[in-house]
Amino acid sequence: MIGETRKSPGNGPMSVSEIEHELGKLRANDDGTLALRSSVLNLIVVTDEESAPEVTRSVSNLAGRYPARAIVLISDPDDPNPNVDAQLSAFCNVRGGGGAQVCAEQVTIHAEGPPAGHLESLAGPLLIPDLPVFLWYPGAFSPHSPEFAAMSDLADRVILDSAAREDREDSLREIAALVGRGGGPAVGDLQWVGLSPWRSLLADAFGSPERAGDLEKIASAEVLYAPGGECRALLLVGWLASSLGWNPKGLERDGGHRRVEFDGPSGSVAVELSPDSPDARLRRVRLRSPEHTFQVSRHREHREVKTTVMRGEELVAERTVHLGHFDLGVLVGEELQFRGRDETYEAALRTAVEVIDL
Amino acid sequence: MADTQALQNVLRDEGRLPRVPDPGVVVIFGASGDLTSRKLVPALYELASERKLPMEFAIVGISRTEMSHEEFREKLRGTLEEHVSGGVSDDVWESFSSGIFYLAGDSKEPETYGELKDFLRDVDSERGTRGNRAFYLSASPSLFSTIVENLGEAGMNEGEDGGWSRLVVEKPFGRDLGSARDLNEEIRRHFDEAQIYRIDHYLGKETVQNIMALRFANGIFEPIWNQHYVDHVQITVAEDIGVGTRGAFYEEAGALRDIVQNHVMQVLCLTAMEPPVAFDAESVREEKVKVLKAVRPIPEDEVEDYAVRGQYTSGWIWGEEVRGYREEEEVDQDSVTETYVALRLFVDNWRWAGVPFFLRAGKRMPKKATEIAIQFHSSPHTPFAHQDTEGLEPNVLVVRVQPEEGVSLKIGAKVPGAGFEVSSVNMDLLYGTAFLEQAPDAYQRLLLDLMLGDPTLFIRADEAEGAWGILDPVMRRWAEGKKVEFYPAGTWGPEEADGLLKRDGREWRRP
Repeated sequence: MIGETRKSPGNGPMSVSEIEHELGKLRANDDGTLALRSSVLNLIVVTDEESAPEVTRSVSNLAGRYPARAIVLISDPDDPNPNVDAQLSAFCNVRGGGGAQVCAEQVTIHAEGPPAGHLESLAGPLLIPDLPVFLWYPGAFSPHSPEFAAMSDLADRVILDSAAREDREDSLREIAALVGRGGGPAVGDLQWVGLSPWRSLLADAFGSPERAGDLEKIASAEVLYAPGGECRALLLVGWLASSLGWNPKGLERDGGHRRVEFDGPSGSVAVELSPDSPDARLRRVRLRSPEHTFQVSRHREHREVKTTVMRGEELVAERTVHLGHFDLGVLVGEELQFRGRDETYEAALRTAVEVIDL
Repeated sequence: MADTQALQNVLRDEGRLPRVPDPGVVVIFGASGDLTSRKLVPALYELASERKLPMEFAIVGISRTEMSHEEFREKLRGTLEEHVSGGVSDDVWESFSSGIFYLAGDSKEPETYGELKDFLRDVDSERGTRGNRAFYLSASPSLFSTIVENLGEAGMNEGEDGGWSRLVVEKPFGRDLGSARDLNEEIRRHFDEAQIYRIDHYLGKETVQNIMALRFANGIFEPIWNQHYVDHVQITVAEDIGVGTRGAFYEEAGALRDIVQNHVMQVLCLTAMEPPVAFDAESVREEKVKVLKAVRPIPEDEVEDYAVRGQYTSGWIWGEEVRGYREEEEVDQDSVTETYVALRLFVDNWRWAGVPFFLRAGKRMPKKATEIAIQFHSSPHTPFAHQDTEGLEPNVLVVRVQPEEGVSLKIGAKVPGAGFEVSSVNMDLLYGTAFLEQAPDAYQRLLLDLMLGDPTLFIRADEAEGAWGILDPVMRRWAEGKKVEFYPAGTWGPEEADGLLKRDGREWRRP
């Protein structure tokens, strides 16, 4: 865990070299020794005034696992007065046993007015050379804007949150278009990261060779999700379909409820996606083959998740495990671990978009 | 089988989801012992809770104490909280413990194995564990051969219905070369080497594995990692604790058997080995064995020139007065058991010809520290005036395994000011701190590797024998003599250990 946060007294308009100099000074300990800078990556975050405190908190939590040069850009293009000012801080570990101290740095830049339209000119010079660049948009984003294009040119990987916008379907479509364009940085989606444990548990349910054959024979599926979990539910269905060779055929909508028809390897597959209580983004996933019912479900107030496999009324296998933590820092951390394109995600996303466009 | 495996992998996204082992049962002999409740079950619980084990998994404990399944589970549950880092969830425990079973039986009696075999069949059909078994020998070492023989006689050296059978042997692997060979031979009468997992938990430590990452993932160290550049190597494995309540055990073992034969020799291998062609079990272990083979044998009549044994007397550690070894519980008042060992070894191969390796391991040292120090030759010529270079020492690269994992390099630098005074400064890189992600416990790592069938981080028979072979002459010599050198607790060992280095004008570092 991070021991202390040091803040530079100086802030306001600063040049790049002033920023570097001040960051160096932040690493100086009271006793004259110099703490080391530890960084495995550059992390650029684009956010607004309102979300800045939560984002900064997540960034400082990340510093422990993924020490980075974090550049948090708080953008306010609507302010009539052009202004750029910087605040500097460092997160340093607790010093024990006479060992050296290690710090990760954060540069927070407020850009108001026209400079907010050219964030790449602010982030670019502050990047540490030779380290990968991750660009994270915690909130809404518009992949078609010139600002986005200029920023993503700096990045090796862009981390988005498809659930950040009100219109979730549109959000998925835009990300799919971005991924489909190719040539740009790899794209990650926090809603997909949140699915990892669910995917792992579903895979485990078919882990026994006697039941692996059921994967080909799935005839129906149900997904219950909270309003905030719509993207996850769609991506989960997209993943199942793209992994199991189901082709989308028809879609019926009834309020928030969706009923999707697929062509599967053993005939038609009926999938229902239904909104449920708001406690958990995903509540339950149930798959049925002629012989078995596979279910992964989360109890409302618990962090545990239960997997069951039934043959008719008979319980064949059952297990409860931890679902894991899902705060913002953890999700982003998972994305930072991954380099390159995630083809499984891209296939799931494509299929999810095919489904909503039916 | 191949087809169903392929089917299973459709949902297994290997790129991002952790690899999950085959269904299987872990059978623990000596299940009422400390290791089961302190290490094995907590490690398995955490693996299960973090979704790293398959759904079809079970643990079967065996020992002589009469207990029901439920009593066994309660016993384990009672101490679980102390030994897991993330806290225990009742729901997860209930689900996990429904796969924990207990069988009371005498491991010396063949009937026990018949019962076990039947019982495991029941577990297979109830839990779907598919005939895969890992037998964990955590019983008294004196029972190892008997258990292995009985397992073999009962046909459990093979899994049921095409499943696998693996055998985990806890240390010590014998007491000396002869007994290690005997043990290996007895085990191999019933199990193939590929089925045998000799565990040295030291290799499960992230920090120890990082020695290999540092050496073989970085291009800049390897070219200077040889006799052209290296003057000598010092390996230190120091503990600040004493023998505590393990006096009786320690009297039998001593530091040479307890630490040097396994941990210190492993660190030596990782430091001196050639780059393996691949990070797989055979490639890595082959290179380690080559190091052990290249170590120059210590002549039995010259042991004093190569080895020093020490024993701590009372002293002060971290502001606390501690008693001497001979005053510890269950320790003989005239004991000559060593609590400290220093060795001077040579690795006679192309890379290391003429480079001495100084190894030391001890209890009641000033602090806990494990490190490898590579001391380089001095610069061949210094253009600076003699009085200006007084603070300058040869370069030292220190790979610190604990407490704070990292590398430090001592280099010469100019002292600011007029003239050209140069002095040594320490550049310290804590790569351990660069990633603060909590490293998994060594047993978790190794148990998962066991289930996955990857023996890279386990000890092969010839490795264990090779390490004993190096130490055998020392043990024989020490068994005859009654002389042990004393050092006060809280110091870095007896003066005689300094003598091992002094003759060549070298000295021990202070870690």
